[in-house]
Amino acid sequence: MNDILLEVKQLKTYFFTEDGIVPAVDDVSFNIHKGETVAIVGESGSGKSVTSLSIMRLIEEPGKIVGGEINFEGINLNKVPRMKMREIRGNRIAMVFQEPLTSLNPVFTVGNQLAESIKLHQKKSKKEAREIGIEMLRKVGIARPDKVYDQYPHALSGGMRQRVMIAMALSCSPKLLIADEPTTALDVTIQAQILRLMRDLIKELDTSILLITHDLGVVAEMADTVVVMYGGQVVEKADVFTLFKEPKHPYTKGLMDSSPKIHEWNEELVSIPGTVPSPFEFPIGCKFADRCPHVMNKCKEEIPSLIEIRKGQEVRCWLHSEKVVDLE
Amino acid sequence: MNYFIKRVLEIIPVLFIISFIVFVLVFVAGDPVALLLPEDAPEEAVETLRTSLGLDDPFYVQYGRYVVNMLQGDFGDSFRYGQDAMSLVLERLPATLELAIASILVAIMIAIPLGIWSSTKKNSSIDLVATGAAVLGKAMPNFWLGIMLILLFSVTLDMLPVSGRGSFSHLILPAITLGTGIAAEMTRLIRSSMLETLSQDYIRTAKSKGLRTGIVVYKHAFRNTLVPVVTIIALQTSTLIGGTLITETVFAWPGIGQLLIQAVNTRDMAIVQACVMVIAFFVIVMNLIADLLYQVLDPRIRYK
Repeated sequence: MNDILLEVKQLKTYFFTEDGIVPAVDDVSFNIHKGETVAIVGESGSGKSVTSLSIMRLIEEPGKIVGGEINFEGINLNKVPRMKMREIRGNRIAMVFQEPLTSLNPVFTVGNQLAESIKLHQKKSKKEAREIGIEMLRKVGIARPDKVYDQYPHALSGGMRQRVMIAMALSCSPKLLIADEPTTALDVTIQAQILRLMRDLIKELDTSILLITHDLGVVAEMADTVVVMYGGQVVEKADVFTLFKEPKHPYTKGLMDSSPKIHEWNEELVSIPGTVPSPFEFPIGCKFADRCPHVMNKCKEEIPSLIEIRKGQEVRCWLHSEKVVDLE
Repeated sequence: MNYFIKRVLEIIPVLFIISFIVFVLVFVAGDPVALLLPEDAPEEAVETLRTSLGLDDPFYVQYGRYVVNMLQGDFGDSFRYGQDAMSLVLERLPATLELAIASILVAIMIAIPLGIWSSTKKNSSIDLVATGAAVLGKAMPNFWLGIMLILLFSVTLDMLPVSGRGSFSHLILPAITLGTGIAAEMTRLIRSSMLETLSQDYIRTAKSKGLRTGIVVYKHAFRNTLVPVVTIIALQTSTLIGGTLITETVFAWPGIGQLLIQAVNTRDMAIVQACVMVIAFFVIVMNLIADLLYQVLDPRIRYK
């Protein structure tokens, strides 16, 4: 687990809108090791999806990566020419999206869309691509894959379509799979199946995963390392056991308290007060200051920096940086 | 296949209803005899002609006779030309079809590249120029554009014939005249539906697979905009078959439009009937073709 596959370093992706500049991703850094599953957790608007699209270099106007490095297998993706990036996309790094119902093109068969990347990246003939495609459909647990191969997406259920998406993403054995809320749009029973499927397949293919989610249940199930994002910044970063056992940032604690736990049924479910402010209304200091139960004067004036409070756990909070100072 | 047979059979009652409506309209429009004879013709002559043409029979007798003849393919003789009306119309039909198809092709050749181009470069200078050109194309009246084209290419540059029908070069100016207006409308339609398609999730999926921009735009996006494009092509072709009178007049193009207007002016009932039936037939067929194409273009559309 020491080999770093992807290193995101001080990534900044801003949106230049008519109303002003929105720092959707602001100074985000994390690493993904080979075979590791890293989860990015956060509410809508925390910048987690923009982070994943930045890695794929799929940020659309008016968004732009304005700084930082995205080092993948020794190449800075932020600097590679578009041609080279296309060879990486879908081949070395693949992506599964949130909406299986709309993520497949309705006017082409499953096979057509599946074979597309196999033909492109593996230079296979149409016939070979068909064989590989059908084999991939079988791997993702689709019954009668040769029949489904020739069907149109509208004939399949949401779960089936997400399986097709996964088959498509894994068809070129990528080194990194970015899964952006892969189970959010699915029924609970299907969610579990899809998660299990992804876990089994990445083990088989030795693929790392960057999992984007707001669902802590999914995080607990899948992740090795967790990055918690709020307002475009990383607020806490730790391995999954530490994070669930000892969440340090008030926002992480809030997230934990607001997800239902089966063995604590008598406890009232709490929610984090307020909502994520609009991008233009974030406080000057800590971005979470307005919603934080432990807010201090300092929080409203100065942004805390991300500090390693113990090995493998980093927190962006004045509460904890004070302690570090005290210890010194 | 069953659907196809059903749709073809539906053409018959529709044509019947249209024939009735046209018959009534021509019937109430007035007496053609007054226009066929000189103003000072004696009363007996008028009566004789009216009787010989069967125009003094009651409405239902006239309509009954008309239907019986129509079912035998006989729309009667033109008062004016003294010939079988349907063969007069069919004589003009190739010219009309030729011009209609050429105009649509001109429109398609302009609108598809321009529409796609301006959608992929939204709000760029190319997009603004294309939008301006579309507004201009739509705003220019056909008769004016036709005359300007004649002035430039036929009179000043002496490159193309002024008017009439014959060689391919005769077709160029009238087809451009009619095609630009349609191209303008089509460009706007293609641009807006392309913009909608390009923002869909499956376009992001296609990009994430590492496909070239050309494949993303032409294969994944454009295929999804073909249903509205086919609709507008079918509608415009129908319109072109029915009404290109102004352009036909400017270029002395011997099409159905001119024949129909002359027939209406002279109350040449048989020709009006035959013209309308032919035009109606083409409108119905174009709609049928469009409906069948929808199924080919979008697998989610299936008719029972």
